[in-house]
Amino acid sequence: MTVLQARQLSVALAGKTVVEDLDLTLSAGEITVLLGPNGAGKSTLLGGLAGELPITGELNFGGRPMTAWAPGALARQRGVMPQRVEVNFPLTVEEVVRLGRTGGDRRADEAILAEVLSALSLEGLRYRKMPTLSGGEQQRVQLARVLAQILDSQGPRLLLLDECTSALDPAHQQLALGLVRTLARTQGIAVLAIVHDLNLAAQFADRLVVLKAGRCVASGPAEEVLTPSMLASVYGYQARVERLAEGYSVIVPVAGAVQTAPVKPTCRQAS
Amino acid sequence: MTRVVWLAALLLAWAGVVRAQPVPERVVSADGAVTEFVYALGQGERLVGVDTTSRYPEAVGRLPKVGYLRALPFEGVLALRPDLLLTTEEAAPERNLMRLENAGVRVVRLPVAWTLAQVRERIRRIGQTLAAEPEAERLIQNFDVRLQAVEADIRHRGASPRVLFLLVAGSHQLMVAGANTAADALLDILGADNAAGAMEGYKPASREALIATRPDAIVVAEASAGQFRVSDWPELALLDAWQRERVYVGDSMFLLGFGPRLPEALEAVNAVLAP
Amino acid sequence: MQSSRLSPRFPGQLLDPAGRLRFGASLALVVALAVVAALVSISSGAYPISVTDMLRVLAGQPGQDAAARLVLMEVRLPRFLLGFLVGAVLAVSGAILQGLFRNPLADPTLIGVSSGASLAAISVIVLGEALLGHWLHLAETWALPLAAFAGGSGTVFLAWKIARRAGQVSVATLLLAGIAINAIAMAGTGLLTFHANDEQLRSLTFWTMGSLGHAAWHDLVVAGPWLLLALLMAQTLATPLDAFLMGESVVGHLGFDTERVKRRAILVAGLGVGAAVAVSGLIGFVGLVVPHLVRQMAGASHRTLLPICALAGGSLLVAADSLARVVVAPAELPIGLMTALIGGPFFLVILLRMNVS
Repeated sequence: MTVLQARQLSVALAGKTVVEDLDLTLSAGEITVLLGPNGAGKSTLLGGLAGELPITGELNFGGRPMTAWAPGALARQRGVMPQRVEVNFPLTVEEVVRLGRTGGDRRADEAILAEVLSALSLEGLRYRKMPTLSGGEQQRVQLARVLAQILDSQGPRLLLLDECTSALDPAHQQLALGLVRTLARTQGIAVLAIVHDLNLAAQFADRLVVLKAGRCVASGPAEEVLTPSMLASVYGYQARVERLAEGYSVIVPVAGAVQTAPVKPTCRQAS
Repeated sequence: MTRVVWLAALLLAWAGVVRAQPVPERVVSADGAVTEFVYALGQGERLVGVDTTSRYPEAVGRLPKVGYLRALPFEGVLALRPDLLLTTEEAAPERNLMRLENAGVRVVRLPVAWTLAQVRERIRRIGQTLAAEPEAERLIQNFDVRLQAVEADIRHRGASPRVLFLLVAGSHQLMVAGANTAADALLDILGADNAAGAMEGYKPASREALIATRPDAIVVAEASAGQFRVSDWPELALLDAWQRERVYVGDSMFLLGFGPRLPEALEAVNAVLAP
Repeated sequence: MQSSRLSPRFPGQLLDPAGRLRFGASLALVVALAVVAALVSISSGAYPISVTDMLRVLAGQPGQDAAARLVLMEVRLPRFLLGFLVGAVLAVSGAILQGLFRNPLADPTLIGVSSGASLAAISVIVLGEALLGHWLHLAETWALPLAAFAGGSGTVFLAWKIARRAGQVSVATLLLAGIAINAIAMAGTGLLTFHANDEQLRSLTFWTMGSLGHAAWHDLVVAGPWLLLALLMAQTLATPLDAFLMGESVVGHLGFDTERVKRRAILVAGLGVGAAVAVSGLIGFVGLVVPHLVRQMAGASHRTLLPICALAGGSLLVAADSLARVVVAPAELPIGLMTALIGGPFFLVILLRMNVS
């Protein structure tokens, strides 16, 4: 089931078009990971889909144009986790996660709160104040807030995650991504995530979409997209790809100069 | 005709009210010059409080201070349980004065007195208000006697001397007195021209402008003795008037208060006006 | 949303699991504080009134002393009410601005809002006669608060525009902008002072030092509705302001209209500070000190912060005002002086502690 569909989408940042002419389809239960070098427009694309940046082109969510959604209703269906969130004020973990329940069904609040806190192993930190937490702990709290936002909603649901595990240690990375993956599978949530770690991306994603200079240059399952030639042309990064097991690859750098090669847009993906 | 009768009746009734005012026993005086007059009329023991501009004579030091006359507190004044607040039109805020009247305090606001006639009138008003009319008349007579010499000087003066009147404001600022100031009024009585008469009010003095005024004489009013030091203002010392010692430096309340010490002030300034 | 804290699961416990005072307990504390402040304010002053006389007057019975009645009903009571409202609004405006700017140092006086409001009011006083002619008496009632309000909101907006770069409010820029705005406002005030006559000058000192010295029922009629409106509107911003603490984009992600929230917050702070400045002049530091203390005591969530700030701010200003009229009695100190005397060192302590952590 298609949750989000974009056609010839362009996103502007500070008056300049950063993402151009992009087609993208996100399906229920599927995890799509955005890849691409710094400045490729990944966060800008996410900002466009999150309603923070102006877009042109066609964007449908749950079969309706995105603009037809009331902001409050949309918030129950679309969770957005920004790249960096710092809280300098002494809000408690519970208060932050509860914010995710704004406009939601109050009867479900306590149960969902308990569920997300336990799923991200935050129970022990429930009454701690945010400024006393480490960066990774704060990131898990924000993820819990975003999940609490959409967990009990009906209808099409979308999670937009901008490097949601960048500050986590490997164990918590696995915990958080595993949780997102399970929720996507069991609840039929569509996920679009930016992940910089190529190995993690390969393991986590059902599908990879590679951006370069604001355009999609490759898309498909990890084993098709993650190739030495793609790495060389997109990142200018000489590497071998070693497949360890089903779904697990290791990308090993090859000694030598880092170089960039000209790229042509090659993908216009089918829905 | 009937109107005249009515008016006469009203006036009589008003006069009756005025006469019926009891002699005030507890007086708050909010104005430096007014306070001086109260003492000069020998009524100082009636005072129960004064404002912060009242600094002379020394006896005021023992009285409670109710604050600045332009920011009179209602409760502060009322707490002294006065039956009279004697002040001038400068007193503020209006609202607190109204409230004091509502609380049964008689508020007498004297008009500005910047001419000799006005000062005489002020003395009479204060005398009436404090039931000290004979003392008031005696004070006015003394005034007139002392002023005779000064007035003779003024009459015999040929051209009006140009006078620069300065006010010390803080340690490093001088204000020049322009038109519509007590300083201007003082010069007016003495038949002198204000060298800064083109300006309105008190304005900060620029060093260059001071030199440009080229006055015949200089008067400096300071808030406390020794506040003015010519070493801070070397350009003043370069002026012709300074070098010919046609300079008077004195207390601002003494010079500009227009109180009982006005004749002395006029004499003092007059002394440096003679060529 | 706050149900667990509003109805504690462990009634009888004063602290919540986060080690803060529970909402109910903090509320009880600030209400008690307000009552004490009210009693102190109404019973202190230069004019001595016995407790029995006070009770008689307050109960509506004719007392022995007619002046006592006047002092209580026409001076101390409106002064207390106005002071309380102004203090509440200043504290709440401070809390709102701090949430909006995501910075605990965003005080209305520091970022120039108060001086902007005061400059606008001073302009009306000095230039009003030339601009409005004999409509001026109307101006004193309505144009003055309106100008102060316009000046206040305009300055918040300006500070906001200057300090924002790519969606983030830079704190350093904000405080620097505040210094510049304060300097400009001070220069403007100085320029107007130069042109003002003596009578206008009297009013000007009031605006720059702050005073509740001639508070009367009239002031409550003119400014009271605006102050109350600002307080009520502030409460509707509580949840979006919590979201603001996590960044501007999060506000939108949670389904709020970010721009509308910002406009409202600026409106409330401008309206509140403007109306407060219009009746009491420039009173600093209440908006900085009170939210800071309340956050330490009862937490940072605006749902609890705002109402408690209102009560605590009102109490603090009323207490400071009582002190201001007692220390040099029968004269009075300007209230702005009192709050700066208390708030200035407090601000330094906050800065020092921030450096340490």
